[in-house]
Amino acid sequence: MAGAVKHDYHLVNPSPWPFVGSVGAFLLALGAVGNMAGLVDADSSIAFMYGEGSWGGLLLGFGIIIWTMFGWWGDIIKESHSGDHTPVVDLHLRYGMIMFIASEVMFFVAWFWAFFEYAIFHEVRLDPGLATWPPAGVETFNPWHLPLMNTLILLLSGTTVTWAHHALQHGDRKGAKLGLLLTVILGMCFTALQIYEYTHAHFGFSIADGGNLYGSTFFMATGFHGAHVVIGTIFLAVCLFRLLAGHFTPEKHFGLEAAAWYWHFVDVVWLFLFAFVYVVYQ
Amino acid sequence: MSADAATHDDHTPSLWDWKRWVYSTNHKDIGTMYLIFAIIAGVIGGAMSGLIRWELAEPGLQVFTGEDTGWGALFGNEHNYNVVTTMHGLIMIFFMVMPAMIGGFGNWFVPLMIGAPDMAFPRMNNISFWLLPAAFALAIISLFVPGAGADNGFGGGWVLYPPLSTLGHSGPAMDLLILSLHIAGISSILGAINFITTIFNMRAPGMTLHKMPLFVWSMLVTVFLLLLAVPVLAGALTMLLTDRNFGTSFFDPAGGGDPVMFQHLFWFFGHPEVYILILPGFGIISHIVSTFSRKPVFGYLGMAYAMVAIGFIGFIVWAHHMYTVGMPVDLKAYFVAATMVIAVPTGIKIFSWIATMWGGSIEFRTPMLWAIGFIFLFTVGGVTGVVLANAGIDQSLHDTYYVVAHFHYVLSLGAVFAIFAGWYYWYEKIFGVKYNSLLARLQFFFFFVGANVIFFPQHFLGLQGMPRRYVDYADGYEYWNMISSWGYVIMAIGMLLFFAVLIESMISRRKGEANPWGEGATTLEWTLSSPPPFHQFNELPKIK
Amino acid sequence: MRFLTAFALAALTSASAFATPLDGQPTDGGINFQPAATSIMERIHDFHILMLWIIVPITLLVMGLLAWVMVRYGRKANPTPAKWSHNTLIEVVWTGLPVLILVFIAVFSFPILYYQDEIPESDLTVKAVGYQWYWGYEYPDQEVGEYISTMVADEDLQDGQLRNLSVDYPMVVPVGATVRLQVAAADVIHNWAMPAFGTKMDAIPGRINEAWFRVDREGVFYGQCSELCGIRHAFMPIEVHVVSQEAFDAWIASGPGSDESNELLAEYTAARETRLAQLD
Ligand code: HEA
Ligand code: HEA
Ligand code: CUA
Ligand SMILES: [Cu+2]
Repeated sequence: MAGAVKHDYHLVNPSPWPFVGSVGAFLLALGAVGNMAGLVDADSSIAFMYGEGSWGGLLLGFGIIIWTMFGWWGDIIKESHSGDHTPVVDLHLRYGMIMFIASEVMFFVAWFWAFFEYAIFHEVRLDPGLATWPPAGVETFNPWHLPLMNTLILLLSGTTVTWAHHALQHGDRKGAKLGLLLTVILGMCFTALQIYEYTHAHFGFSIADGGNLYGSTFFMATGFHGAHVVIGTIFLAVCLFRLLAGHFTPEKHFGLEAAAWYWHFVDVVWLFLFAFVYVVYQ
Repeated sequence: MSADAATHDDHTPSLWDWKRWVYSTNHKDIGTMYLIFAIIAGVIGGAMSGLIRWELAEPGLQVFTGEDTGWGALFGNEHNYNVVTTMHGLIMIFFMVMPAMIGGFGNWFVPLMIGAPDMAFPRMNNISFWLLPAAFALAIISLFVPGAGADNGFGGGWVLYPPLSTLGHSGPAMDLLILSLHIAGISSILGAINFITTIFNMRAPGMTLHKMPLFVWSMLVTVFLLLLAVPVLAGALTMLLTDRNFGTSFFDPAGGGDPVMFQHLFWFFGHPEVYILILPGFGIISHIVSTFSRKPVFGYLGMAYAMVAIGFIGFIVWAHHMYTVGMPVDLKAYFVAATMVIAVPTGIKIFSWIATMWGGSIEFRTPMLWAIGFIFLFTVGGVTGVVLANAGIDQSLHDTYYVVAHFHYVLSLGAVFAIFAGWYYWYEKIFGVKYNSLLARLQFFFFFVGANVIFFPQHFLGLQGMPRRYVDYADGYEYWNMISSWGYVIMAIGMLLFFAVLIESMISRRKGEANPWGEGATTLEWTLSSPPPFHQFNELPKIK
Repeated sequence: MRFLTAFALAALTSASAFATPLDGQPTDGGINFQPAATSIMERIHDFHILMLWIIVPITLLVMGLLAWVMVRYGRKANPTPAKWSHNTLIEVVWTGLPVLILVFIAVFSFPILYYQDEIPESDLTVKAVGYQWYWGYEYPDQEVGEYISTMVADEDLQDGQLRNLSVDYPMVVPVGATVRLQVAAADVIHNWAMPAFGTKMDAIPGRINEAWFRVDREGVFYGQCSELCGIRHAFMPIEVHVVSQEAFDAWIASGPGSDESNELLAEYTAARETRLAQLD
């Protein structure tokens, strides 16, 4: 017998989710390759899973991952409610979230790197049509229309989420709900405008639809940002539902704070995108 | 104290309970799984290098003949040689060294050394592990699906340069490999988050950063490199994926892209990666040298900050892998200077280890042999790195066997020796049984001789101009290649002895002591029984 | 100094088969660079010797120190360990000294780098294009369009041709001429590498890279593709014939890539070899 536990750390009980999630990741990857490149012949009996263009394998993997997320994060919420999240564990979560965001920043570094390399060092390209920025024939967006609008939307949403946070801290649950609701709506507006903008682009994404590296860098950088907006919106929406369900106290509401941090990160990335992709190197 | 922790089982679950492993939230069990995984991957990667050395033993095609008769058919044609080389590199790096050092020893000993009951995120720790078999499986499946034309597998080198990895390999093998590395990368990033949080938040009362054992310091620097470097690789891999499947043109000149751009992104990750592979080894060696010299580590702070410096400079030297791509000369000059600077903090480490031994009372137990071997062989690999750092001479040596010799001296003789040093240092602690030190020393002997015979002659081949990644070479390279391949045989005997030690110790079950090394071993893991209790430090230790 | 190094290396590998180094191709059992044929490679040679004089002593120093502590401070020789673990002076020394050594290296290293990079006024431009898996050569000044240079298959090897190194239609340059080499690629990355010249330049799709060399003696030189480019990466060698200006002009006139041009080269090489044989 090692004696009674005399510390505040959280020794988590054994859990199936990591393993299930890994299986999901494996199947998702397999399904994705099946969809993109085809792992089995079209006349194979599992072509609907792993044949070219099939969605079976992809959905299976995706489903398992979604299931894992519900199970795993559901467990975390339960543990939080049962008092496992002592101050030190709460601190762990904060560190974890900050480090996660740091790694996300580095992920965007890759996309900005590609963008700057091509926007600044364009003379080296042999093809004269591509040796300018933007390449000949590419008509870029006017940054002072929709992109400016989107910038304002995101900035506004940054304030509403802060409002929600402060309201919650001061025990004003109604204000918190309203602030979060507004943030989620603004997030959805951003996404909607972004989709609208994409469908009106005068340059292609792929070589097949007449595009070149302008479209590649533009759509991938803003697209990954867009994906993060969607994830952030979902994260905030989950917090809204938790708030409605009576979760969070004025003292303890790290789920909401993490969502807010994430949202601010997404916001800052957008400011860089707006400044450089839309304005400086348009 | 939380309600949950009280109900937590305190007795050790049975070894044969599958849930103990699959559902594990215990850092020591997860560490053990990492070690076993690393050994399996090491054997596969080592077998692949056996095929390489077999093929290269003589001029002409031995193994990858592509003929339908006899042995050769088993291994395919020249393309499959490239596949084997590629996978050898990837497996050794991502599935052997990293899991062994970071996942295995890191998981086991970071919490023990800082006096913590477990990692900060025990459940996330487990997914870091389980994502690796998933990634490994994808990599292995890629061997059996079309890569280039009708040939199976991806044979474009571990550096994955486009257009060979895009237009040159249109089959699904490369897509599988990309996603395999994505998943391995997620595992690394989650692990990095876990270690950083653990090290910052869970040190025992009184253990300031400047009292932290050097292995923990080395892990802290390593995981920061992971956290900041791996996502850039993820971005580059994603660009490859979209170039291949969705018609983007990041790296396709037809759409204005530039293949060199990929190389920048890759090496921005890749160079820090090589320090990720060696820094934990630096930490391990420091403990072993100090333990068996019965003397505290010389210049502790210098040692810690040398690693920080190596990690930092490691981020600004990447293009020394790209001296021949046609960079502006001033840029090359910058990278020459920056790269050579790394020799300074590394030298500090080498000399401080020697100074630790100086005046000590050295006992040549098995781990100490590996550690001394490490110090010497790493120096050999390090100084050839300084040669390569000079772009002027790299013009001759780039992509020759000189480079292969350099990086095997720091990896196969550096990192791997550090892994074995750690393995024999902590074996008794981990498994609770003693090993036969005579057999283990014999393994060291065969590895030391074998590895040198394999890789030292490769310097000569490189100077003579033999290019890397060649399935068949001109007759003028025969002599040293043959010797190199014989070296592999010597090394392989060492590998057999490794398993002999393992099996012998498991059969005879000599009970391990809490601290077999005596007063030189001062870190916290030696205050616990061998193996430690399932949950240690229920009452946190206090550090003076 | 050079002699000493060679001696040390020889002692190190006394088991190896020591033949006189062959020109323009690897020597079996050789332990150093191939003999230099250009001013660039000569500098690389010298720099390598200099580096050996730095790295070998450093390695020996580390080895010697290790040996010394192992003998002097073994458990038997020194039963009670010392307690110290600091010495600021020595730490400053082993930080400062490497810095000085590195500065010293850099002083000799940078000039080579700039020497390689700054292309002097050239007498001739040759364009080399990498394909999966052969090279194409073009002489824009001479208005010679691209001809293809492919490895000679094992079964077609003639007397005197080298397995995996000889090609059907080699590249030819005049001796003593400054050659501007333009390197490009059509499909994936290749690398035009010629050990005896100290030339190694990536052939990258979408770019043209430039290098230069001036070969100081006649002869036949072999190199190999040095960037992984697929299944036949090991089988797209490079063969360069360095001939007199007259022979070069005749070769150009005969139409590079034709059988006549090859016959001309064969005669020329044979004549040179008999000349050399008589000299011996
Ligand atoms: C563990 C992995 C590891 C480590 C630690 C290193 C360490 C170093 N490496 Fe290496 N390297 C690789 C793994 C590693 N490398 C790999 C895998 C590749 C090939 C990748 C590929 O293409 O596939 C590579 C390739 C590579 C290249 C590119 C070669 C080419 O492709 O043309 C270069 C060039 O600069 C280089 C340089 C260095 C330097 C300067 C160090 C320094 O950190 C070494 C410092 C150490 C010392 C110098 C010794 C100890 C110091 C002293 C005793 C002090 C006194 C010394 C002096 C004053 C000199 N390495
Ligand atoms: C850590 C990295 C690592 C290690 C250990 C090795 C080990 C070996 N490597 Fe290799 N190698 C690479 C990384 C590594 N290699 C890379 C990156 C490349 C470049 C790939 C490319 O070009 O794309 C390469 C390429 C490469 C080539 C060049 C191929 C070519 O260019 O055509 C050759 C040729 O001889 C070779 C040989 C060997 C041999 C004989 C060993 C032997 O040392 C193998 C003996 C086996 C072991 C030493 C493993 C033992 C370890 C364990 C079993 C795990 C133990 C674990 C615990 C105790 C927890 N390797
Ligand atoms: Cu062309 Cu390698
Ligand atoms: Cu490097």
